Parts: sequence; structure tokens; C-alpha cells
Amino acid sequence: MIELDDLTVTFDDFTAIADVDLRIEPEEFVTIVGPSGCGKTTLLRAVGGLQEPTAGRVRIDDRVPAAAQEAGDIGFVFQQHTLFPWKSALENVVFLRTMADKSPKREKAHALLRSMGLDGFEEARPSQLSGGMKQRVAIARALHLGADVLLMDEPFGELDEITRDELGAEIRSLWRQERKTIVFVTHSVPEAVFLGERCVVMRDQPGRIEATFDIDLPTPRDTDVFGSRAFQEQVAAVRQTLHESYE
Amino acid sequence: MNRRIRLAATDAIYPAAALVAAVACWWAITVVTDVPSFVLPPPDAVLARLIGNPELYAINAWYTLEKVVYGGLVGIVSGIALAAFVAYVPWFRRAIYPYLVTVRVLPKLAIAPLLLIYLGTGMGTAIVFIAMITFFPLVLNTAAGLDRAPARHRELLRSVGAGPLERVRYVDVPYAIPGVFAGLKQSVTLAVVGAVVAEWVVADNGLGFLILMGSENVSPDIMLAALLVLLLEGLLLYGGVVALQRGVDSWLDLEGGGS
Repeated sequence: MIELDDLTVTFDDFTAIADVDLRIEPEEFVTIVGPSGCGKTTLLRAVGGLQEPTAGRVRIDDRVPAAAQEAGDIGFVFQQHTLFPWKSALENVVFLRTMADKSPKREKAHALLRSMGLDGFEEARPSQLSGGMKQRVAIARALHLGADVLLMDEPFGELDEITRDELGAEIRSLWRQERKTIVFVTHSVPEAVFLGERCVVMRDQPGRIEATFDIDLPTPRDTDVFGSRAFQEQVAAVRQTLHESYE
Repeated sequence: MNRRIRLAATDAIYPAAALVAAVACWWAITVVTDVPSFVLPPPDAVLARLIGNPELYAINAWYTLEKVVYGGLVGIVSGIALAAFVAYVPWFRRAIYPYLVTVRVLPKLAIAPLLLIYLGTGMGTAIVFIAMITFFPLVLNTAAGLDRAPARHRELLRSVGAGPLERVRYVDVPYAIPGVFAGLKQSVTLAVVGAVVAEWVVADNGLGFLILMGSENVSPDIMLAALLVLLLEGLLLYGGVVALQRGVDSWLDLEGGGS
């Protein structure tokens, strides 16, 4: 379980997030949506231990984030792929696990790359891969790490819309297979509704939680959901909350 | 593969032909005009010098090489060490960086006579002088290289509990390697210049000294022979750096790296 209590992060005289309380259950898929600069990335970084809270606290299964990092229980996927340019796709996947002091399982890494549609690209360098493929490698890397918690910071932010939709559907099915806790930050409302079991809406100045929506859509989901009435109504509801926070 | 070799062969034809043409022109000038040989000796006279007394050129090439290697090593090691301090100790960087950038403008050659006063006419002057000259490209390029590593790569390693030393080894160093070699390639060329200047100032031995003596005795054939050996020595050293870069790249698995 991830627990945030009165979490506040300030930079000099700028308050990025203020008094955020949030509970995320194990194996839950939570999306965080909000405008640029609302502190959603800062929130995610604080959860993952990359940002020290100014006040309040973060606990991951009753541990401070640094302890969860040390145990290799946090898998980050950033907006930029963050692959090492001098390593092949497979080496990138294996390498992070080694850095977490876990023994690499090359077979598992191969299987993950295959399941992400990267069969035959194991030896390719990042420079030889498209943006979507690089993010696929980064996701495979986070899964291979074996972390229980996946923190995704706009991982599809630099991809075209078709690739976004495809990868979104893949993330959903991976989440169901691998039983991970996923916290997914995005500024796209449809993406947040499509992916999450729960959608947290943030407002800015300072970053706060404005509302939380339990998403009521069938599981498993695929891109057919986009046309459904239920999906569109929930997107509209989240949008309205976002806009109201600006009035 | 065969095609590549054939391409390399055709690529080599043009410069080879240009070289032959240039030497032929040189020879023709000495034959057609009556330029005295103490101004422009014919190519075969230069070659005769080399073949006539190979020990002289070999031993002086060795002396020059010795200075380049010792001075170069001191300059390279201290340059990389200082770059590490600049990259990892913020207050040190703020104190020293402006001077590193400004002192670079100073023509280091002008310092050689001063070193002669402090260090005398031994090897020391040459070594310190070459060390100084090789130091600057290395410290600046290495420090810039260490800065190139994107923060997000370090954060990625931090997020799995990797320590600062692992972040240096697996992120900072691979990103810095191209900078280090850019610095080394400048340094190795400058080191040969530095050795020659030191030999002019100290006037003890080496190819620079041979050139100086050739000038005083108005023997351009000796000077040109020494220059030829110096050129080969410089190429050899540069080739050594390139070979070292290939080795390090494959060791760190950097091939095909880049951005």
C-alpha cells in the first residue's frame, strides 16, 4: 500500500504540492491527471523517493521510499525513455535489474521484449528504435526489475496518438497479468480514464487533489471502449472537474 | 567487405598521387632552377641523410618520445583528476572554472623560458612544459564530458538504490569518454609541439634540438629529415590514441553509441 500523508513539496518560495493525502491499494491502477505545472510529476517523484517531501510523509508498504528503492521495489518509466544509448535493448532491460542487485534473468528479459512486440530487436540500439519501441523497452525494463510498484510519468507524452492507444491497451493487459501497483501521470483526460481504475484529478497553484473518480468501465478493456457512452460520460465528468477548478 | 576494401584503395590513390606529384615538383625545382642545396636540398639528399645516419634520428626520436610520454602522462592524469574535482565538487568548480577558461587563452609556449629558470636544463623543464600544454584540453573536455550525462539517467539508477559510485561508473564515465578522447587527440598533437619547443629552449637533445642544430649549421637536409621523423612520430602517437579509443569503446561497450 502507498500512503501519502499531508505531503507538501516546496521549491524555494514556490509550493509545488500542498497537503496531499492519498491511499493507493496494492495492485491498484491509479491515474493522476491535471494541467501542466500542477505538481503531478513532483507528486510521483516524491512517491518514488526522487524528491524529498518538505513536510508530510510517504510510505510504501510501511517503508520510506529510499528503503523501497533499495529493495528494488520501485520501477520508474519516465517521459523520456532514459535508455542507455550504448546498450542494446536487451542489455538495457537486464542492466537495471543488475543495478538493483537482483540477478538478471535473460530468458525472462527476452520473453518480456517479445511480449512487448520487440521480437527480433533485442540487439538493436536505442538509436535504431522508434519512439514507441524505446518506450516499450523502458516498460519491459521496469517489469524485468520485478518491482511491485510502477511509477509512470507521462510515458506516452512524446508518442503519436495511435501508438499511445496501442501502448495504453498493452499496459492495461500487463497490469492484469503481472499484478502490479501502477501510478500513471498524464495530462490527457481520455488516457487517464481509459487506463485507471481510479482517476485522481489535480489542480495547480499549489498542486492539490481536486477530486477522485472511480472509473466504471469493463475489465479487460481495449480501444473499443473509446466509443462507449460510459467512457465518454466519465471523460466529460473529469473534464468538467478540471475546468471548474479554474473558475 | 570486398567493396569496402576496394573503396579504401581508390580513396588512397588520390592522396598518394598528390604526394608523388609534390615530391616530383620539389625534385624538379632543385634540378631545373639553380637553387643552392643549402636552401632547398633535393628529396634524395634528405633521404640520404636518414639512411646515412639512422642512429642519429632514431636516438633523438626516442628522446623526444620520452619527453612526450612522461610529460603527456603527467598532464593527462592531472587533467582528468582536476576535471573530476571540477565536476563533482561544486565550490571547487565555482572557484577554479573561470581561471581554467581564461588561462587557456594564454599562449603556453611563452612560459617555456620561465620554466628554464625554475627547473633548469634537465628533463624536468620539458616534462613540466608538456604536462602544462596537454593538461588544458583534457581538463576542459573531460569536465564537459562529465557534465553531459543527463540527470534522468542518474535518477534512474538512484530509483533502484544504486550508489553514487555506480552512477559514476555506469552513467558519468561512459558519457565522458568521448570528451576525454577529444581532449586526448588535441593533447597528443600539442605534446609534440611542446616537446619541440622545450628542446629549442633547453637545447639538450631530441628532434627539436636536431632541427635547431640544422638551422645553425645551415643544413636544411638535416632539418627536413628530422621533420619527417617528427611527422611520423606524431602520426604514430595520434594513431595510438585512436587505437586506445577503439579499445576503450569496445570495453565499455560504447560502439554505436552517440547521442
